[in-house]
Amino acid sequence: MSRVRFRTPQSAAASLLIPLLAIAITALIGANGTPSFQDTVTTILCNLIIVIGLQVFVGNSGVYSFGQLGFATAGAYIAAFLTLPAAFVLLQTPGLPHFIADAHLGALPSTLIAAAISGLLAIVIGLPLMRTSTLAIPISTFAFLIVAYNIVANWDRVTGGSSGLVSIPTTTSVESAALWAGAAVILALAYKWSASGYRLQATREDEVAARSIGVGVMRERLIAFGISGVLCGVGGALAVHQSGVLSPVTFYFGATVTTMTMLVVGGARSVFGAVIGAIAISAVNELLRGIENGASLFGAISIGEAPGLAAIGLGLILLATMIAMPSGLSGGREAGELSWLQRLGLSAPAPPAESSGAVASKPAIDRPAKGALRAEGISLAFAGLRVLKGVDLALGPGEALGLIGPNGAGKTTLVNVLSGFQAPDLGTVSLNGADVTGYSPARLAHEGLGRTFQAALPFPDLSGLESVAVGAMGMGVSRRRAIAIAADVLDRLNLREQAILPAGALPPGSQRLLGIARALAIGPSHLLLDEPAAGLNEAECEQLVAILRDVLSDFGCGILLIEHDMSIVMPLCSRVQVLDDGMTIRIGTPQEVQADPAVVESYLGSSFLAAADA
Amino acid sequence: MTALGQNLIDALALGSLYALIALGITLVYTVMGMMNFAHGEFIMLAAYALFVLADLPFGAAVGCALLAGIAIALIAERVAFRPVRNADLSAQLVTSLAVAAILQNVVTVAVDARAQSVETPAAISETTSIGSIMVPNLEFVTLGLTVIVLAGLGWLLYRTRTGLAMRAAAENFEMARLLGVRANRVIAIAFAISGALAAVVGVLIVLQTGQVSPTMGLTPVLVGFVAVVIGGFGRMFGAVVGGLLLGALSSLLGVYLPEGLAPFRDAIVFTFPVLILIFRPHGLLGGEIGKARV
Repeated sequence: MSRVRFRTPQSAAASLLIPLLAIAITALIGANGTPSFQDTVTTILCNLIIVIGLQVFVGNSGVYSFGQLGFATAGAYIAAFLTLPAAFVLLQTPGLPHFIADAHLGALPSTLIAAAISGLLAIVIGLPLMRTSTLAIPISTFAFLIVAYNIVANWDRVTGGSSGLVSIPTTTSVESAALWAGAAVILALAYKWSASGYRLQATREDEVAARSIGVGVMRERLIAFGISGVLCGVGGALAVHQSGVLSPVTFYFGATVTTMTMLVVGGARSVFGAVIGAIAISAVNELLRGIENGASLFGAISIGEAPGLAAIGLGLILLATMIAMPSGLSGGREAGELSWLQRLGLSAPAPPAESSGAVASKPAIDRPAKGALRAEGISLAFAGLRVLKGVDLALGPGEALGLIGPNGAGKTTLVNVLSGFQAPDLGTVSLNGADVTGYSPARLAHEGLGRTFQAALPFPDLSGLESVAVGAMGMGVSRRRAIAIAADVLDRLNLREQAILPAGALPPGSQRLLGIARALAIGPSHLLLDEPAAGLNEAECEQLVAILRDVLSDFGCGILLIEHDMSIVMPLCSRVQVLDDGMTIRIGTPQEVQADPAVVESYLGSSFLAAADA
Repeated sequence: MTALGQNLIDALALGSLYALIALGITLVYTVMGMMNFAHGEFIMLAAYALFVLADLPFGAAVGCALLAGIAIALIAERVAFRPVRNADLSAQLVTSLAVAAILQNVVTVAVDARAQSVETPAAISETTSIGSIMVPNLEFVTLGLTVIVLAGLGWLLYRTRTGLAMRAAAENFEMARLLGVRANRVIAIAFAISGALAAVVGVLIVLQTGQVSPTMGLTPVLVGFVAVVIGGFGRMFGAVVGGLLLGALSSLLGVYLPEGLAPFRDAIVFTFPVLILIFRPHGLLGGEIGKARV
């Protein structure tokens, strides 16, 4: 059995080595320059670390944070406090606690401590901020930046207030900044390619679908926010030890715009993008400053903020990028994923997973003895409109239950209640014997409830293999095991061929099957399928029936099938439950249900019956 | 009692100013789903019109500021925001951030990075006494303008065809478009009104502080964002409530905070909305926006 991979070793190596090479070249050019040019390059590398920090959160979550520079501020001040000579401490920050004021650490320990505290601060701040909605995070993080600035600028006795700090030891060299930048690249890529990183990327691709496979959106965002805080703290600490001066505006609005420009121009979704964006924008920035000064091209630059013309230039570049090239110079790809590199033979795309021959006989993820999914007396009203009126439902293990009814009968709403996307007003839901009413979708997924949606809700930027593996990763299994599970599920669904393509590039039928594969990868005890055949052609429908039949026999999970097309319901379901106007009007075998006049009436209208009778 | 009355009027005046900012941001948000960061720079540019046209009679300068606000909003919409109309909220926010950075630095280069003072009519800085309460005339102007603007907006939105089109676009932009609402026109009108509101705010800020600076729009736009968020994204009424709440909080904290904490007023003011969002992620009057669609 050949091993299935997300990417080839060449591709992974290229993704890692090319950014490192870019940093090494930058450092090499810098180290051989004049002292002021060395300062410039060191500053660029410090900014690069902050931009990578931004990428970890923004790139993987798809949510912009405007507050990360607040963590650079924290890292910078902490590093400064830990290294300021005693005489200057007394003069500038008399309110500092003694144990900090008396500490005179070297460059490395002070940077490490600054990084740790910045990361901790990011977790503490992130705990409330990540609870706010996706739309509100950009604004609440901005509010944090203002709050941080306000505190630092006014806490005179500790921070030196708005006039800031001077005479901080300058210990950061081109070499040390480059080493840290290299470490940042490795950390960011390791995170991106970890199970946690993939779970976060899934929330970026589709938040609802990610929750349905057990991804805790808030938790994953918080992890990335913390790592981002660490990296920004490192960048801030190194920067302050480069310039020797620090003020509250060093990492404020101007620096936020500059670093955001670097990230967006490079392409936020990849670490490679962050690196080339930081280097390219820094070079342009220097050029613009050179023009502005009219003289020496590479004067020492202040950190972050570019005044006047240079800032206008950066703003125009950012604007042009957003309009003409929103995914940035890298196209959001890692270096190893660049097609021209693959053409040169320096990298290679992942091969389609070869058939593993014998499919594993065991279901993807072991679960304890399975019971029923049971709903009792579910009632729900939206703004007074009663959508569900005391519905009962029972789905045993290994059973296929059809749920049919006219549009607006409440079928999808019932599935939303069962899967935790909607809390019922009244009634209880139990799964495998435990009361799970009011559980979140992610928690229900962990309890063994899988579902699909009326829309396919693919993860467009992830490959088919990655999309399905994320399902298993949502269950907390290791990355390697998740890939094995995904390959197995894809095999069963005959999706192997398509699995290396981005899910967004697949035809609708394949996307739909991929949605089912994704739900199967969590190893569900019960699977809720909301109109899986919608939009499929006849051949695809037949294939779907065959696949679902296999799922029933191989996985042994109960399937609730919402479907209008009786030709799909008939061969699969042993029982059919008919909903109309929020109530169950009939439960029986497919034949019984089809023969029931009340069912025919609700579907086709009484006039049809009258016409048929006449 | 007197002090309390005084403080309440101050709070109401500041709240009104914040409500005007939040309204300008909400108007654009409702028709195109964009949180416009450059709104602060619209405010700033209108204020600079007063500085540049200091030789004109003040009334004429205010008129020009109004035109400047409308003009810059329309230009920004046409040049920068129309191309990203269909991008997601984050991308639009970054685009408007770019516009903000450009405008801010254009003014820095053209005038100066430092604040410039602007002469304002003397009558504005005087006070009028109502009973034992001394009310600065500026607060009357602010409150009066707010009432006029709210009434005007209400009339426009609920009594005119244009308003109907805008409300339809706010409910469901694509559907409104299919029904014949002209998208470009509705969005342009929203930007024009937003620019005019920004100009009103810019003038009021100049009257209050007597100066202009390139970064003067930063705090107002953040205040506006936060007010919009706590009011519930895209709700006109919510924006007004959010603005009033935030302004009142800021104003009252200014009076009642103990001396040691006074410098940290902004920190406290901006922490408060985050607390609201934790318990009500969709804002105080939040609707369906941002809720999971399943």
